This record gives sequence, C-alpha cells and structure tokens, in this order.
Amino acid sequence: MLDDILRAYTEAIYNADRTTALAVVDAARASGVSPEDIVFKVVIPGLDMMIKAINDGFDTNLAQHFMTAHIAADVTDRMLAQFARPPEMVGHVVIGTAAGDLHTLGKRIVMGCLKAQMIDAIDLGVNVPAERFVDEAVARGASVIAVSAMMVHTARGENGAIKVRQLLRERQLEGRIRLVVGGAPFRYDPRLYQIVGADAWADNGVSAARVILDFIKEARS
Amino acid sequence: MITGMDRLAAAARGEILDRIPVFCNLVDQGARELGMPLETYFSRGEYVAEAQLRMLGKYGHDNVWSLFYVGREAELLGCRKIKYANDGPPNVEDFVIKSYADIERLEVPDDISTHPAFAETAHCLEILKREVGGKAPICAYLTASMSLPAILMSMEKWIELLMLGPTEMRDLLLEKCSAFFQKEIEAYRKAGADVLVYADPYGSTDIVPMSMFRELSLPWMKRDLAAGGLDGVVYYVGGARVNGVLDQVIEEVGFGTYYPGPMDDIGESMRLVADRALCGAVINDIRLIDWTPEEVRAEVKRLVQRGLKISKKLFFGTILMPFGIPDANIRAMIDAACEFGRPDRLEA
Repeated sequence: MLDDILRAYTEAIYNADRTTALAVVDAARASGVSPEDIVFKVVIPGLDMMIKAINDGFDTNLAQHFMTAHIAADVTDRMLAQFARPPEMVGHVVIGTAAGDLHTLGKRIVMGCLKAQMIDAIDLGVNVPAERFVDEAVARGASVIAVSAMMVHTARGENGAIKVRQLLRERQLEGRIRLVVGGAPFRYDPRLYQIVGADAWADNGVSAARVILDFIKEARS
Repeated sequence: MITGMDRLAAAARGEILDRIPVFCNLVDQGARELGMPLETYFSRGEYVAEAQLRMLGKYGHDNVWSLFYVGREAELLGCRKIKYANDGPPNVEDFVIKSYADIERLEVPDDISTHPAFAETAHCLEILKREVGGKAPICAYLTASMSLPAILMSMEKWIELLMLGPTEMRDLLLEKCSAFFQKEIEAYRKAGADVLVYADPYGSTDIVPMSMFRELSLPWMKRDLAAGGLDGVVYYVGGARVNGVLDQVIEEVGFGTYYPGPMDDIGESMRLVADRALCGAVINDIRLIDWTPEEVRAEVKRLVQRGLKISKKLFFGTILMPFGIPDANIRAMIDAACEFGRPDRLEA
C-alpha cells in the first residue's frame, strides 16, 4: 500500500499539485498509515525521487522545486504534531544569503526540504556577514554552513563564501564544519564552488538538502 | 561606412553586410570606464550615456544601452530604497509590495515619460539619440508583466502567489504590471529607444511549468504588447532557456527577434526559429570572468559558427555581463564575434 501512496504523492509533487498531494496524505492517514510512515516512507522518498528525476535529466522547473519543498514542509509540520514522540533531529545547519544578497527563494526551498529530513535549519536571513555564519554555526553546533547567492558579485565577493572559508581555516574549524553554496551563478559555472572555497554545491534547492544531509551524516559517523 | 543599425537591419532580412551584429550588454562596466563608484555613476543620465558612447568606441560592438539597473522599474512604481554594491548591480532593498493590501494600493503612473524617476533615463536617451541615433541600436530594458512582480515583492513571494494564490490578487497584480508595461514601452519609444528588450524570465519553462506558461505567461505577453505592437521588441528570458517554448511564442506572439539563454543549444534555437525571426547566439558570460582570452575566442567561434551554419538571421549577444569580467576578455569576445560572424569564415 505504501508503494501506491508514494507513487501518488510523487506524481502530485511532479505536477506541483499541492491539493492532490495533501489529499493523498489525508487518505493515507484515514486508512491507518502512521504519521511517522508518512514522513519517513512517503515525504522523504518523494524528495529522493525528485532529486533522482532531476539528476536523470527530467525537465523540472523552479516552481516545481518550490512546491516540492513547500508541500514537504507543510506535510512534515502536520505529521510532526501527530508523532507518538518527538523525532530526534538528524543534525543542524545554519543557512542564509551571502553578504550583499537579498534573494530568499533558494534558501526557502532548501529549508523546506531540510525540515522533512529532520534537519534543524537555522535561518540567519539575508545579507549575512561571514563572521555571523561562523559564529552561529559554532554556537548552534551546526556541522554545515549553507550560503545562498543569486548574483555573481555576491557569490564571488570577498565578504561571502570566500570569507566564511577563510574564517573556518583561521579558527581551525574546517574539520568540523562544511561549507555548501548554491544559487544561480553556481549553475552557470560548475567550477565556481571551488573558486570560492566551498566543499560542495547543488544545482537546485531540492538537491542541496541532500548534499547537506550527506555532510551531516558524515559528521555523525 | 556600415553602421550597427545597418547590420541589424540586414540580419533581420537574412543578409550579412560585413559581419553579424554584435550586441554587448555592458551596463555596470560604465562606472569603471568613468572611474567612479557605481552609485555615483547611476545617479546621472549623462554619466550612463557618456560611458555607453566611450565603450562603443573602445570595443567596437554595435549597440548602446539606456539601462541603469533593473530595479529602476521598481522605482517608477514607488520603491524608495536601492542597495548599491561596489562590484555588481544595485538591488531593490525595500519591496513596494509587502502585503496583498499593497497590491490593491499599487498605482501605475499615468505618464512615465514625465515621471521624476524616469528623468535621468530620458536624459540618457536624449544624449544617445543625439550622438548615435540611427547609427547604433539604442536598447531599453522593459520587464514583462509576468516577471515584474519579482522586483516589486521578491522572487519568493511572487512564486508563492503564483503557485498558491489567492488568484484574484495574482490577477490584479498582473493587470497593474501589464498597464505599467504598456505605458513604459510608450515612454521608451517616445524617448528614442529602438531595441526594446522584453524581459520575461517567467516566460521560460525553467521557471514555471508548461501549463502555467500557457495559461498565464503567453496570454499576458499578448496583452502587454497588444496596444504598442511588436516593432523593435526582442523576446528575452535572462539566463533561462527559451527553446522549450520558442515555437509557441513565435506562432502566438510573433516577436521579430529572440534572445535564447546561454544554456540553450544555439543550433536547436536556430532550427526552431527556422528563419521566421532574428535569433541570438548568446554566450555564458559568467564564464567570461575566469576563461582565458583564448578560451573566450574558442567559445565565441563555436557559438557563432554553429548558428551561422543554419541561418544568417543571427546576431551575437551576452546576458547582463558581470562587473568582474576582465577587459581583455571583453575585447577577445567582441573581436572573435566580429571575426567569425562572417560567412567567409565558416568552417566545414
């Protein structure tokens, strides 16, 4: 039965169809599927299938990514309220836009997907100084700093990811905290993440959550 | 002497005079040209015009721009706060629309040509028209109704409204943005712009699903352009891809010129356009920052020759070129486009 639910949910998120996705979830709950199974056996595998589709060249778009994250976060919120016991968080990440950058869409997509993965995403907002990224990561025990940049000069700027890397090095935190970047400029130059000193990048917000999750798992192992 | 305007007119007819037109979107670079901070540079129309003229002489491309920065359109609709940078384009810092009530309150100016926020643009156009009018195509940047809300309320809030509603607020905003577009294109034409770049990233299926493209992007395109017509209007989707919708836009709207994104395959774009319009071979200008001049030359050659093999209705173009592109690469790009944009340089 869960296979059918997953298939129907995944089809709904491909179609950016929130109404149908929520109806699938409601019907599953009514038929006795637990809220834990909805999150761990439907929502999270649904995200994985979307990532696979993107990687396999399925032609997705920004609106689909937005809706995938929005639906995942929405369903997760509703299910968490019904969990038998609060789930253990997988890990912590601090996320924000680079110094000088005011674009929030990418960050929102990443955060929606992280929520479903049980990752505590601490939103530092927009135009975040490099020092704050590092200070907050240390204070919150985050194993990943995620820097979003929509413009070339904020992606490459010396006060953005480049400075975060410099601070991690100076404070000898490179072994503990990974730096992940994302945003339009990185899509147009896949080598750019290395130029700015990041450990990894993602082509889109949905895939970024997977990259962050992998680093968190690595830190826990 | 052959001018940029002559080259453009010939290309639209499917002819090449000496070479294809080379369109270069040098905007922020003007500040460097005049040796002043970007905020100072964008404060006066005469600065922008002077820099455009200097760069035209220096690099030898074909067009000039009246664009200051994209947020200028938000200023015409009431934005009071722009965030300037030292090394990149200014951004809207205070969004005009913070709540749905602001959509209801949004007022479209009656006459943009006399609006105080248009005065410096008009002054820039006046100088450009006086100095190079009729010789170099004078470009203007106008955002489509479907894409303008992104700079009025943020990309995040616009996509949220598009995807989640309420639809009556979405439609009211689109109505107002379309009314603004129609007045804006009238003002730009009156002020002397000849190439009107219709900027519509939300007219790409990289951004919205095909169903939404058909239900919203396409109808609003038609509505934006119904009154003023298509004379000199170029379909442009920024860095997004256009090939997936190109045939529909040609069939249903019929722009005279198409500006594919750098991720589009130019060969495919030219095949889809199939001589029904002029089409651009557009370089990934973010890579121009780190490529060597030799790599720039090779990429320009590849793009131009791939396009020319299919049709002569071709021009070379860039997106909005990042401030950090080295001067040597700007020169290498334009020189290569001029050199390889000729039928006699076409290699088998």
